[in-house]
Amino acid sequence: MSHPHAAISCRGIWQVYGADAPQQLKRALAETGNDSRAAAALLRERGLVPAVQDVSFDVLEGEVFVIMGLSGSGKSTLIRTISRLAEGTAGSILIHGEDILTASKQRLIELRRNKLGMVFQHFGLFPHMTVAENVGFPLKMQGMSRTDRRARALEMLDLVGLSGREDAFPRELSGGQRQRVGIARALAVNPDLLFLDEPYSALDPLIRRQLQDEFLKIQAGLQKTSVFITHDITEALKLADRIAIMRDGVVVQIGTPDEIIVNPANDYVREFTRDVPKGRYSHVSSMMNMPETLPAMPDDPKIGEDMTVDDALASCMALYQPVPVWGRDGRMAGIVHPSQLADALQVERT
Amino acid sequence: MTDISASGSVAATGGKDGTGRTGMNGMTPGVRIAFLCVLVGAICLALSPYQAWIRTWPAALTLPATEWIGAGLTTLFEFLKPAARSLARLLEYPMAGANRLLVGSPYALTIGVFTALGWHIGGIRMAALALAGLGFVLASGYWIASMNTLGLVFVSVPLALIVGGLIGVLAHEICSLRRAIETVLDIMQTVPTFAYLTPLLLLFGFGPVVGLIASVIYAAPPMARNVLLGLKRVEPDIREAAIMNGATRSQQLLLVEIPSAGRQIMVGVNQTIMAALSMVIIAAVIGGFNDIGWEVLLTMRKAAFGQSLIAGVVIVIFAILADRMSSALARDGKRHSWKVTASILLAAVVIALFQNSALPAAQDFAAFKSAAAVIDRSLGAFIAANGVILDGVKNGTMFFVLLPLRIGLEKAVLPFTWGFQWTTGISIAVFSIATVAAIVLALRNHAVAGLSLLIATGILVTGITNLPWPFVLVALGGLGWLAGGTKLSVFAVSMTGAILSIGLWEPALLSIYLCTASVLICVAVGGAIGAGCAVSENAWRVMRPVCDFLQTIPLFVFLIPVLMFFQIGEFSAFLAICAYAIVPMIRYTHHGLTSTPDELIEAAVASGASEWQVMREVRIPYSAPTILLGLNQTILYAFSMLVIAALIGTTDLGQQIYLALGQGDVGLGVAAGASMAILALVADRLIQGFAARQRHALGL
Repeated sequence: MSHPHAAISCRGIWQVYGADAPQQLKRALAETGNDSRAAAALLRERGLVPAVQDVSFDVLEGEVFVIMGLSGSGKSTLIRTISRLAEGTAGSILIHGEDILTASKQRLIELRRNKLGMVFQHFGLFPHMTVAENVGFPLKMQGMSRTDRRARALEMLDLVGLSGREDAFPRELSGGQRQRVGIARALAVNPDLLFLDEPYSALDPLIRRQLQDEFLKIQAGLQKTSVFITHDITEALKLADRIAIMRDGVVVQIGTPDEIIVNPANDYVREFTRDVPKGRYSHVSSMMNMPETLPAMPDDPKIGEDMTVDDALASCMALYQPVPVWGRDGRMAGIVHPSQLADALQVERT
Repeated sequence: MTDISASGSVAATGGKDGTGRTGMNGMTPGVRIAFLCVLVGAICLALSPYQAWIRTWPAALTLPATEWIGAGLTTLFEFLKPAARSLARLLEYPMAGANRLLVGSPYALTIGVFTALGWHIGGIRMAALALAGLGFVLASGYWIASMNTLGLVFVSVPLALIVGGLIGVLAHEICSLRRAIETVLDIMQTVPTFAYLTPLLLLFGFGPVVGLIASVIYAAPPMARNVLLGLKRVEPDIREAAIMNGATRSQQLLLVEIPSAGRQIMVGVNQTIMAALSMVIIAAVIGGFNDIGWEVLLTMRKAAFGQSLIAGVVIVIFAILADRMSSALARDGKRHSWKVTASILLAAVVIALFQNSALPAAQDFAAFKSAAAVIDRSLGAFIAANGVILDGVKNGTMFFVLLPLRIGLEKAVLPFTWGFQWTTGISIAVFSIATVAAIVLALRNHAVAGLSLLIATGILVTGITNLPWPFVLVALGGLGWLAGGTKLSVFAVSMTGAILSIGLWEPALLSIYLCTASVLICVAVGGAIGAGCAVSENAWRVMRPVCDFLQTIPLFVFLIPVLMFFQIGEFSAFLAICAYAIVPMIRYTHHGLTSTPDELIEAAVASGASEWQVMREVRIPYSAPTILLGLNQTILYAFSMLVIAALIGTTDLGQQIYLALGQGDVGLGVAAGASMAILALVADRLIQGFAARQRHALGL
């Protein structure tokens, strides 16, 4: 059922808070004939809190999977369930095919020491350790020697642009620098999976943008499978390969940034994307088509399918006829009419 | 705009007394309870001349609980004694070791080591403090006695830290145990210090080991509490980061959580050191051990106040040194140069080498002998010259404040003191006036205030020690119900009922009376000082070190100055309690009034409120929960001083505990100690309940 290249595969995850939650959930599902929405309503009525309801998705190898939602939507709970910082109420979570909800305590510690890294909203730096000791902490847990830890920590700090601060204490660093340490620590064991829980939410907008750019740069080099939590739609659109939008504990849409912008699943999603500069985050590929017979195309502004709509429009704005779109392989991938691109930029008025 | 309306609503909810929401027709819970109390009080007053059982609990119904407890504990102790005695023998070794180290080392070396330590953790100021302080101790001639005390502290502090730390970690790790452990900690700290001593004496036998164990029991809870608090406060992100890095539970605890909680834990270390020192000194009442507490007691008994003042100063010096040094350790400031530390140590060693031949022995110092004599002489002269004024203050307070509270206006108003005789007619007149006033207040929508006025009048006319027990139980039950619902109500009534049924009601009422009298004064005076400090920055600059000082010195020392001027008696005890218990009232009032959020004050000012209006409408309502907590602390402080004050002549529960200690009556000692703890716990729970409701009403 799950995708063959899935690094993480979640099926039917429930996280319900309250007394005797697993039994209550079973009962509610039985009473409603496995209708998850109705079951959640029933649980709520009985004084329980269904924070995450029947969530399923796959995260592919090497992709950045962003979970976006407002506060209280259950996104933080979801990432804690996946990383098993919180015990899920129901469902299965496979990491590289291994069910981690049933993993033993020992196995879990092993997984965390070798395979998983996590970055926290408030950094989670240990106040009594220097920067280098913080970054070296997961390596210490692996049992690495002091000198090797130090070497690896310096290497990681270099990667995040903090060389020279290795002997500072966290309290001596700015917010942006602290989160760089957090990222260096998460990457120190070279994990297969990276969990990032609103890593940039506590930072100033300028610093945030800078760190986002650095994340993209690091990601381009390391290709880590990442689950990234945010409440900021522009951050999601900028960083994601795919986005899951959550509301009240339910995933309302999963798709690429283009799909989210061009084909919002419902009004809630549309409302989110309303003020987003769409031309910057959608690509020509999501708008072009390939007719049976090609119309006359006197001009070729050399538009590629990977171009953002903004960039494409800039080069064909003055044209009134369809133009060809060229694929990565150099062949024509489709055609697009400049007016189509312009229409897509219209801010919807409701 | 939103800010203004927000501050308005805070003032509105806080301004009224929560219970007076509706008029007298719609009976709010507060009105109902107050009404019930008035009713029960009136019935008791009317019936008591004919029904003796209302005033005094019938002897036939009194359980011989003190004897049962005594017998039970004695049997249990017979059983435990061998183990206890072996533990005592085991503890003798570190005690003897520490004692030999401190008493045996040349004093020059000891002073040098402490000065070097002071330099290392706090620079020149701390080094000077250590040098001057210990220099005074040496010159006073109390060096050997002080080292005996310090030796005990050196053993009890590490023990208390280990025990407390383990309890704290245990309470944090095992959630199901947490509540139980917290209750035990509450009890360990509210049971009065002397009450430990009697059972410990029986169990461990006579000797300084009793003081050691008592001080461990008394000093471990602050450590446990702070460890628990520190661990609870570790940020979730830090906790989760440790988990996600693959740390096992013990690695999380030892490598991450405990070090992260370091600062809070050091606060615990500071409090533990202070508590241990205080208790070791108090334990001197069992005597037979030449320590500094004993010196104070001895000189006090001989009325050699000059000497006892100097011994008291020695104790204060140790307290201040211990406090400043351990709190300097808690601040992770920079450590000072090792070279200076080493040279101080070297100098100390060199002087110590020549000490025997060149310097007098420690016990031969008596620099203040003449000073003590001067103090005694001038004190005598002062009292001779101002005796009339002092007596006037004492008698005035006794006759016009303390006695009416204690035995009621009915009995306290005599021609000899007040110039006229209280008659039934006056009683009727007073009650009528109070009733009219109450009705007027009730018609103006202050039903609770009116009924409270009636109750207060009743208490004042009858006197606290003559209060009929049904009234006390109903009133406590009602207050409990208002503060925390049925559960608290049942707790208050059953606990107080227990005191009644074991026959300790009369001393308990005396304790309540003495505590009420001093708390009232503390609230009035301390509240005023606190408010003054909140208004004037300069006043606080003066008061703050005074408060720090009063909180640093061990309880015991408070007795010396009051005894010097007012001799043994209830008035001296009253003054000592006030002096000790006033500090939290000042601190919390100041803190509460100054911690109003700036936004609220700005909003009020922007609405055109004058300074006084800001105070009345915003600051006071907002600070009410904090001030209530101050009141709570003041009451607890008063109770703990009450026991110490038994040394200078009171007749309450504290005296019973002290008597039991003298007679080795473990049953009486434990029962009276438990009663005292019950009173403190009930007061604590009631006020905490009200404070929580107030905080809730303010949305804090």
